[in-house]
Amino acid sequence: MSDSKDNRGRLRRLWDWFWRPTAVLSVGFTLIVGFLAGILFWGGFHWSLEATNTEEFCVSCHTMETNLGEYRETVHYNNHSGVRAICSDCHVPKEWSHKVKAKIMAVKDVYHEMLGSIDTAEKYEERRLHMAATTWKKMKQSDSRECRNCHNFDYMDFTIQETRAADAHQKAIDTGMTCIDCHQGIAHNLPSGYLEEYEKVVKSLGEEPAPEPKQSSIFGVSALRAYIAGNPDAAPER
Amino acid sequence: MLELLGTIGGNILSLPGILGLALGMMTRNFALAGALGGLVGVLETLLFAKFNFGNIEMLELTVAILVGIAAGTLGCAIRIKGTTV
Repeated sequence: MSDSKDNRGRLRRLWDWFWRPTAVLSVGFTLIVGFLAGILFWGGFHWSLEATNTEEFCVSCHTMETNLGEYRETVHYNNHSGVRAICSDCHVPKEWSHKVKAKIMAVKDVYHEMLGSIDTAEKYEERRLHMAATTWKKMKQSDSRECRNCHNFDYMDFTIQETRAADAHQKAIDTGMTCIDCHQGIAHNLPSGYLEEYEKVVKSLGEEPAPEPKQSSIFGVSALRAYIAGNPDAAPER
Repeated sequence: MLELLGTIGGNILSLPGILGLALGMMTRNFALAGALGGLVGVLETLLFAKFNFGNIEMLELTVAILVGIAAGTLGCAIRIKGTTV
């Protein structure tokens, strides 16, 4: 009787309805509606994911003000060519599964925003080295994958680079270095003790620190790092 | 922990999760469904590593295979539950 059916819980009735064979819909109708619903769902999902890649979204949190200000002073924000790399260009992978992984891991940023872990300048500076080291580790592990979305040794014309840059890039190719080995602090200020911390990061990955230059390389690693960090007096030793 | 969760989420929304589920729905054999899903996990990891075994991380490969097997098995269960013939 219908009375016995009514005694079922609401969830159970919903479950039974969900798995009940349809008697009024054709296969074609079900397929077309399912296909369209799939497009709508996937399009909406992808659109939402891309919306979280915009600079406005990234810096909408109070805690991002410090690194936004630092980034705005760099060549990745303003330059002669008019090409701008926004937050997601450097911090979010392009490949789908890596991107989803990065988005899930970014939940911790929301958590720390709510906790107020870095909501004052003092707290920010206290955590700066740790945050930088986390990003360096990701970049070292991925062979600076996000840098290489725009920069590629194969596309570089060393003849129109500064001599020092061309030599440094040739050395990087010769010794298998990756972008972040030299370009720490390219978009945000570097904390003190960053070189020691970077060596710890490299060792934690079971890798050797930046290898010694081969014969074709003429500059020392420490001098190159100092030069890139903006110390023009640190003329690379030959 | 967060890295593990991210890897699992990435695989669920990628080939092992979606294609694994679809392939699992093509059979009523749980073992075959799981095997198909696991195979998709291996192939996806290889694809993203540009078919270079040196680029493959053990954690990513393991998670991709496990997610593929789970998705394939779920697809098979959906097939059994959702079809009458």
